[in-house]
Amino acid sequence: MRTRILYATFKRNFIIQRRAYPLEFFIGKILSAFYTVLTAYFMYNLLFKGQLNDSFSEFTGTSDYMSYVILGGGIYLFVVGTFLNVSRSLITEMRTGTIDSLMIAPFDRVGYFFGNMLQQTFTTSMEFLLAIIISIPFGINLTGINIPATILAFLISLVAYFGMSLILAAGMLYFRDTYISQNTVFLAILLLCGITYPIEYLPQWVQYISHIIPVTTSLNMIRNSVILGMGIPEQLNNFGYLMILAILYSVIGFKLLKRIEKIALENNLA
Amino acid sequence: MYRFFWRVVKAEALKKHRTTFHSKLVYFSMLIWPILTFAVAYFTYKPFKLSAGAEKVGYLNDNNLVIFILIGYIAHMFFHSLVQSAWGFSSERFWGTLELIYLSPASRLAFVLGNAISSLFENVWLFIIFAIMMFQFYGELYFPGIGLTVIGTITLIIPAIAWGMFLNALFLFSRDTRILFTILEEPMELFGGVKLPVAIFPLWAKIISYIFPLTYSIKILRRIFLKGEELVQLLPILALISLVTLIMIIITILLLKSGEKYAKKTGNMALF
Amino acid sequence: MIKTEGLSKTYVTKIKKGLFHKEKKKVEAVQNLNMVINKGKITGLLGINGAGKTTTIKMLSTLIEPTKGTAIIDDLDLKKDANEIKKKINMIAGGERMLYWRLTGKENLWYYGQIYNIPKDILIKRINKLLKLVGLFDDKDTPVERYSKGMKQRLQIARGLINDPTYIFMDEPTLGLDAPIARDLREYVKKLADEEEKGILLTSHYMNEVEELCDYIYVLDNGILIAEGSAKELALLVNDHKILRIEIDELSFELEKAINNICTQFSGEVKYTRREQHAEIYLTTKEDVSTSIATLLTQYNASIKKFLSEEPKLEDTIISLARREKNV
Repeated sequence: MRTRILYATFKRNFIIQRRAYPLEFFIGKILSAFYTVLTAYFMYNLLFKGQLNDSFSEFTGTSDYMSYVILGGGIYLFVVGTFLNVSRSLITEMRTGTIDSLMIAPFDRVGYFFGNMLQQTFTTSMEFLLAIIISIPFGINLTGINIPATILAFLISLVAYFGMSLILAAGMLYFRDTYISQNTVFLAILLLCGITYPIEYLPQWVQYISHIIPVTTSLNMIRNSVILGMGIPEQLNNFGYLMILAILYSVIGFKLLKRIEKIALENNLA
Repeated sequence: MYRFFWRVVKAEALKKHRTTFHSKLVYFSMLIWPILTFAVAYFTYKPFKLSAGAEKVGYLNDNNLVIFILIGYIAHMFFHSLVQSAWGFSSERFWGTLELIYLSPASRLAFVLGNAISSLFENVWLFIIFAIMMFQFYGELYFPGIGLTVIGTITLIIPAIAWGMFLNALFLFSRDTRILFTILEEPMELFGGVKLPVAIFPLWAKIISYIFPLTYSIKILRRIFLKGEELVQLLPILALISLVTLIMIIITILLLKSGEKYAKKTGNMALF
Repeated sequence: MIKTEGLSKTYVTKIKKGLFHKEKKKVEAVQNLNMVINKGKITGLLGINGAGKTTTIKMLSTLIEPTKGTAIIDDLDLKKDANEIKKKINMIAGGERMLYWRLTGKENLWYYGQIYNIPKDILIKRINKLLKLVGLFDDKDTPVERYSKGMKQRLQIARGLINDPTYIFMDEPTLGLDAPIARDLREYVKKLADEEEKGILLTSHYMNEVEELCDYIYVLDNGILIAEGSAKELALLVNDHKILRIEIDELSFELEKAINNICTQFSGEVKYTRREQHAEIYLTTKEDVSTSIATLLTQYNASIKKFLSEEPKLEDTIISLARREKNV
């Protein structure tokens, strides 16, 4: 039952995406990844001539700024993709008026959200790959990658992003807003989670907040595995911590959604 | 006739205000987004040795980095808010209110102007307050005297409004606004020199930069407030930005005229 | 059978007063509603003054929880067995919502079929059957956004039948449809009740529709049930007078006098209209006077062109019910 809803939602979204979002959308996303990398490239190579503060390698363990930023940008693409698709799924149903016909069915939330998640992971992976390919001339270096650690880090990260997006979904339903909530969250993540710079540059009290947001740990793990080539045993602490965060976010997310769903359905009566 | 024109400008600005500011969240986002964006830009500089940058761009140092970025973002906010407004304007077609505008005898230019002005001032004032606080805090802002301050402000506001009108006109007739948005909005931050000085760009990037009027505005502001240049030194670039603004206004008027003509012919409120 | 027992819903809305002060306001959308929906019958739900019809339907379809009371649906309790009930019911609403516009008609039905976990082989057959039934089989591979209003509405019905529900709740199913399409749809709804033994709850703004279709009608006003019965019974409730419409060749003053006599006797009213070729008589009385008038007409040798005894319309009933409620 659950897998059927998962598959059906996956396929449904796939068809909708194919029909509704033409090439421009895809190009738009790739272009914005390109601009991000280009900005970093200009800054690093043209303005500062590759001269980093010592603190950078102290904090990150590497002096490979370009790989650091490109990976950050790529992961950010995933976070944004998850939020845009999973968080917005229910409120979109509300706007198209399909929420009633869904809720009236004996319909399984878990399968539904996983279906949304899977479809978006698939799409974003394509974008991510393209972005990485584009980034090759800008100097991304993948030679030291530890593949098993990278894959595991990535998988746990996906669960964590999923949990986060459920909480955001609840917020969106509650405020009946997507535009403001999503953009605020995107910016906050950009600022707090170390997408383009190590969070150690932030004030100490802000760093505490950074650590409760799963993206921070997730990025650390992925960079450690890809750039520094660290293996799973060396990062067990990180893996464990992210796993706990991921589960916590998902459980809270589902609980919140269940409550807010009721409110949303009643408010939907106009 | 002038009276009528300004009445429409006022009405459009008010309508825009009322339709955009439906909840307190909007005010929240207006202040919080630019601050977050600015903070991200500031911390992005942190990994680098600023002294290395100073070799290329003489006036950039630890002390005035904040001001350098702030000037970039204030100018960017002016132009950015207008892209947003233009994008919102294209929803008029969606709601079917566009045809009503064409039904009226009001000047099309007035609509576009009203819309541009409204979103400009709504979006900018909160950030300006923030910026002034930051200037106070970092205290490295060079005060060039009233005259140049006024000139600097004008070279920011007028081109920004002209840019907004131009985009409004463009978006008014374009069916697919997303692609225009991708072309005009996202690269503006990079090529306009918001975070990075255009001077360091390779030639091809410089050429793109000078398509955006934002580039000129930022340049003038930084030359006034960071380098402390005099009016005489600024004259050539002031002439240049006036010319660019004039060209934008002429294109806008032509676009509005041909757009409506085209719409009348095809019965379709879409040019592209 | 669906039986509601004291079904009630109270909404609490917060009204902002000043910056921090919020005032709670209670709105009783439905109060203590008792009604019965039988299999094979069409039950009407009419409302006046924004009555709580949609709230009732949404409660019955498990979308919102009742504040008080419950409903028993074939031995299942609305509050306890929501998931089992979901399998037995479905909802069809007017307008163009509840469908994925980017998907084709067939894809829509497929998706909803998956959600209901309908076995694959059955689902394929059912989708084809439903598409044929609502006349969309030839357009099954066209995205819904290219459907006309009527087509969307018909697909909506197919969607509402995808789980082969025992009970169907229809909220304004003919809203905004062209007359011929609405007529087809009405016929189809009738068939669902008569031939497929579905229990149907119908709300509509069109009184003719309710009058034509519904076996039994509940009338809600401000969330309170104020009347129930068949269309005829409802009419009797408020309209206790009879209407006679007569056309004769010639109306003599003697005859007029005689009719006036009967009229005053039964405290009624009469109106005469003389035309070139004939005369019209319009008579409203408290009691049935058709026999005495008929006798009178034969006595005066009037040649009768028309002799109609009219029933008051449901529409009149509802209007006078609404008036009565307001006056109370």
